[in-house]
Amino acid sequence: MNGETTPSTGRGPAFWAGLYLANVAVIGALKLGGAINGPTGFILMALACVLLVPMIRAQAKSGCSSEALRLYNKRVVVSSIGYVLGLGIAITLWRNYEVTGPVLFGLAMLPALPTLGIIWAMGRYLVDEKDEYLRHRTIMGALFGLGVVLTLGIFYGFLETFELVPHIWAWWVLPVWAVGLGIGQLWQRVREQ
Amino acid sequence: MKNRLKVLRAERDWSQQHLADLLEVSRQSVNAIETGRYDPSLPLAFKIADVFEMTIEEIFQRD
Repeated sequence: MNGETTPSTGRGPAFWAGLYLANVAVIGALKLGGAINGPTGFILMALACVLLVPMIRAQAKSGCSSEALRLYNKRVVVSSIGYVLGLGIAITLWRNYEVTGPVLFGLAMLPALPTLGIIWAMGRYLVDEKDEYLRHRTIMGALFGLGVVLTLGIFYGFLETFELVPHIWAWWVLPVWAVGLGIGQLWQRVREQ
Repeated sequence: MKNRLKVLRAERDWSQQHLADLLEVSRQSVNAIETGRYDPSLPLAFKIADVFEMTIEEIFQRD
């Protein structure tokens, strides 16, 4: 429904992205504050991903995206919903049942496999994108994200080696890389203005 | 690399979007090339030359 109203209201992709991030922040705050439990938080997070659909539509409508980018966004949204649901199911089952062996391995794969979908979507986008400048811009953003991951990984890794900071899970590399990618692309768009 | 894209486009009274459509690229691409932030590949440079019916050297020059 929201997607249908996007053109008439004139709301751009930034509006929907902001609304999505605001929702994620509110859900995170509710979870940290103890107002909602884990499964509820995961379900709300998955529902919040629906806001990314009008964002993609608004982006396509604005003419600022290519067909390849539209496909990429769609794949990332599907993978993200799968990731949130997979993570929620895996954590809920792991906390409430005595799961071991291959079943536990399978549980661990529930959030991992959709995450690989996000990485695949990025690779596919670089293959599909016919506009060489948009491809170049994405590659530069991805390299910036990689730089952020390597810098923080080395910095934090040595702090952790000398037990100055607590351990963090290795899967954090993807969100950190994605944030770096976002900052890198945002910087290039600002330069375009 | 310098280029005369903006001047050539203005002479023909084309918008960035119109040129982008002719080249089958995004408007951002045309903008990035015009402002010198991005040097096009050789195939795209040939395409630009074809659209303006000029040679690549007449459009792009060394700094």
